[in-house]
Amino acid sequence: MTQPLDLHAVSAHYGTTKVLEDLSLSVQAGELVSLLGASGCGKTTTLRLIAGFLTPTTGSIQLGGRDLTRLPTHKRDIGLVFQNYALFPHLSVLDNVAFGLKQRGVGSAERRKRAMAMLERVGLAALADRAPGALSGGQKQRVALARALVIEPPLLMFDEPLSNLDAKLRVDMRVEIRQLQRSNGTTSVYVTHDQEEAFSISDRVAIMNAGRLMQFDRPEVLYRRPANTFVARFVGFENIIPFKVVARDGDVVTADTAGMTLRLSQAAYGAIPDTFLLATRPDGLVVSTDPAAEGLPAQLGLRTYLGRAYQYQCETPAGHLVANGSLTTPLEAGTSSKLVPMPEQCTILANEGAR
Amino acid sequence: MPDRPHPILIGVAALVYLFLMLPLVIVVGAALSDTTYLTFPPQGLSLRWFENIFEISAFRRTIVTSLQIALMGTLIALLIGIPAAYALNRFRIELPKWLGTLFVLPILVPEIVFGFALLKSFTVGTGAPIFLSLLIGHTLIVLPYVVRVISASLASFDFSIEEAAISLGSAPAKTFFTIVLPNVRAGVIAAFILAFITSLNDVSVSLFLTGPGISTLPIQILAHVEQFFDPTVASVSVLLMFLTVAVMAVVERTLGLTFLAK
Amino acid sequence: MTARRFWRRNGATGWALSAPATLAVIGFLLIPIGAVIAGTFIDPRGVFAPYISYFNSGFRTTVLFRTLQIAAITTIISLIFGFMTAYVVSRAPGKLKSLLIVAAVFPLLTGVVVRAFAWLIILGRNGILNQTLLALGITSEPLEMLYTQGAVIVGMVYLFVPLMVLSLVGVLENIPRDVLQASSSLGASPLATFWQVLLPLAVPGLIVGAVLVFTGSFTAYATPQLLGGERQTVLATLLHQRAMVSFDWVGASTIAAIMTVITITIVLAMSHIARRINPMAT
Repeated sequence: MTQPLDLHAVSAHYGTTKVLEDLSLSVQAGELVSLLGASGCGKTTTLRLIAGFLTPTTGSIQLGGRDLTRLPTHKRDIGLVFQNYALFPHLSVLDNVAFGLKQRGVGSAERRKRAMAMLERVGLAALADRAPGALSGGQKQRVALARALVIEPPLLMFDEPLSNLDAKLRVDMRVEIRQLQRSNGTTSVYVTHDQEEAFSISDRVAIMNAGRLMQFDRPEVLYRRPANTFVARFVGFENIIPFKVVARDGDVVTADTAGMTLRLSQAAYGAIPDTFLLATRPDGLVVSTDPAAEGLPAQLGLRTYLGRAYQYQCETPAGHLVANGSLTTPLEAGTSSKLVPMPEQCTILANEGAR
Repeated sequence: MPDRPHPILIGVAALVYLFLMLPLVIVVGAALSDTTYLTFPPQGLSLRWFENIFEISAFRRTIVTSLQIALMGTLIALLIGIPAAYALNRFRIELPKWLGTLFVLPILVPEIVFGFALLKSFTVGTGAPIFLSLLIGHTLIVLPYVVRVISASLASFDFSIEEAAISLGSAPAKTFFTIVLPNVRAGVIAAFILAFITSLNDVSVSLFLTGPGISTLPIQILAHVEQFFDPTVASVSVLLMFLTVAVMAVVERTLGLTFLAK
Repeated sequence: MTARRFWRRNGATGWALSAPATLAVIGFLLIPIGAVIAGTFIDPRGVFAPYISYFNSGFRTTVLFRTLQIAAITTIISLIFGFMTAYVVSRAPGKLKSLLIVAAVFPLLTGVVVRAFAWLIILGRNGILNQTLLALGITSEPLEMLYTQGAVIVGMVYLFVPLMVLSLVGVLENIPRDVLQASSSLGASPLATFWQVLLPLAVPGLIVGAVLVFTGSFTAYATPQLLGGERQTVLATLLHQRAMVSFDWVGASTIAAIMTVITITIVLAMSHIARRINPMAT
């Protein structure tokens, strides 16, 4: 039942503005893939293209070898969960869930049985005869989920399904969605702007920006090894420092930034090109007062308490950096110190000529 | 767009719009005709029937009366309607719900019944002058538009702004004029225009409240059509349409036209 | 101090502000109409005498039923064409949509006399329609179209279709787009979406539009007067004729009472029904 989804070189326009450029994306059968990005990045456009609410200008969309590109929405057989639930206000909860079955010509007794069974699974069987207007946000989203699942679609799509729920419910619901998706093994596309949500729920995440795919990989890889500065910044690499290699001595590379030099081991960082960016989160840059430490000289500024560490706003010749320091020795503003990069928390990016 | 309506539906809609526009085009054409009888397409263009409007003293008089009544009635309706709309929104909890319905009554009851009742019970009953009765009648039929349109504006007004002004030391009455009113300016303009046009076009109420020497333009047109069948009426109609277009142009410049459809 | 008085929110200020408008409506509308209706019940001939004599008159009952019939037909035609047009307008792209809305507002702002007069030119014995039919050889004699029920209905539909279109565009635009998209994503064809989702959700709006048109055409004066004349007398023209030509004030009051009761009953009943079946309300 479950099928792979393939987007091949898809572009889309709203009027004359290009909103999606040459997007290719393959979702394997049974996989849950998130489209992640800020508003306007093209993630919702992608979902609407797959659903058939929009037609691509070029490219093709295939589901299990079936070409969807020119197929009207109602023939695509895709389960959709909407941000605003989009329940039919004039139908009871049960009739909402049974709606898709009715369109498929399922008889009324069978319809009722299957819709009830699905409501049972999402824990709402007791509310079957209620009007959707009388439900809470979480219950509405469960109905929407049941309605999409009951037609046993080869592809499920979620459009920011949790954004109208409060924080606690959001976490509960995403676990629930993931469990249902896993046990059904339905190929799924999940659109969200919430990084934590995307990383926690997905097999793979596609990070998008300005209508382009920036990186598509497992959350673990995205989190540790962003492929470019956009993704690096997006996943919280606040410090991105441009370097030029000035000397190579076997494994050890000496690199310069704004007159400061740093010696880096290629065994720890991987192959280092002649110009590169060193990217790291604040916890990958450790404040040290040891004058012999191999790091960037910095002047400490404002200190904030994070619970697991102190964080410092630092001024260096290479610009403003954010670094963490140990809890045992809080340092005052104005202290001169070294910022020591931790290789396992850093990544080397090609200098794209930005900055 | 994938959800474009069916071509048959588009065709029907086009015909409906043709049905709406064509008669008005025909009136304009008839007004420009050179002949002494009504005809379309016009045979020879002239503006003589426009001149004729002003040569007939009854038209001259009723145009003035209509404009006077419409302007005065609208202003009085604004004067009593704005405080009422404000009270309905500001004291929503304290005031009973039926009060809102009360202000809609003048368009809920048949206008012609209202006109007749005002004549029988007020004008004849108290011997009030016709002009006053006419003014009262018009004030009341435009009052619902004033209250409703301004209420709609006030519904989206954040009353905490008013409270902020008062907490900063502005007197409540002054606050109304310096803070509340400027923020519902669009609603007031729209209310004025709707009320003015409604009053100008009214037939059913004016029908009973006209007397010797006092009549409104629509009533005069009605009387003229029943006696003569010449293009003068078409010219007056075009004049009224121009007035409407002018008013709509003002709306367009100040508020955008779709405002009126709300 | 002024601020403190302001914060004490009792209803007195509210009542004071709404008093002029309230008194105006009560004094000049409710009491006069109440007096007219009450007057019909204190007839020296008996409590219901004016009504008995009204319904004993074959002519007057014919007028009542004619008025109801014209209003009903006008409402149905306006509903059908108004709904189709409103659907197209609500789907039109932004610029065109504003233009179409303006094109519907314009006739609405043009007076009823002007709009009835337009049909006088079209439907008259030497009118445009007859000239065209004669020229095309479809008919050899000019047709008598004026002063028929059909003429009145055409004039009324012309009067009320814009109103119907505008109120239904609002209704259709209030139906969330994603509900319709949900329907097609679940496999409903456009036709199925129309019947199973769009139409049920539009019903309350259709009822409101129908009430507007029905009561409007039930009480219209200028259009039946100009296009129907004496042959197509309706309640409104009869009321005017009784009051201003025959000076039969009791008869006129009786007609006024009948019109008021029918109008108010329909408005209240239908808005109650519309509210009860409105799924968006909960």
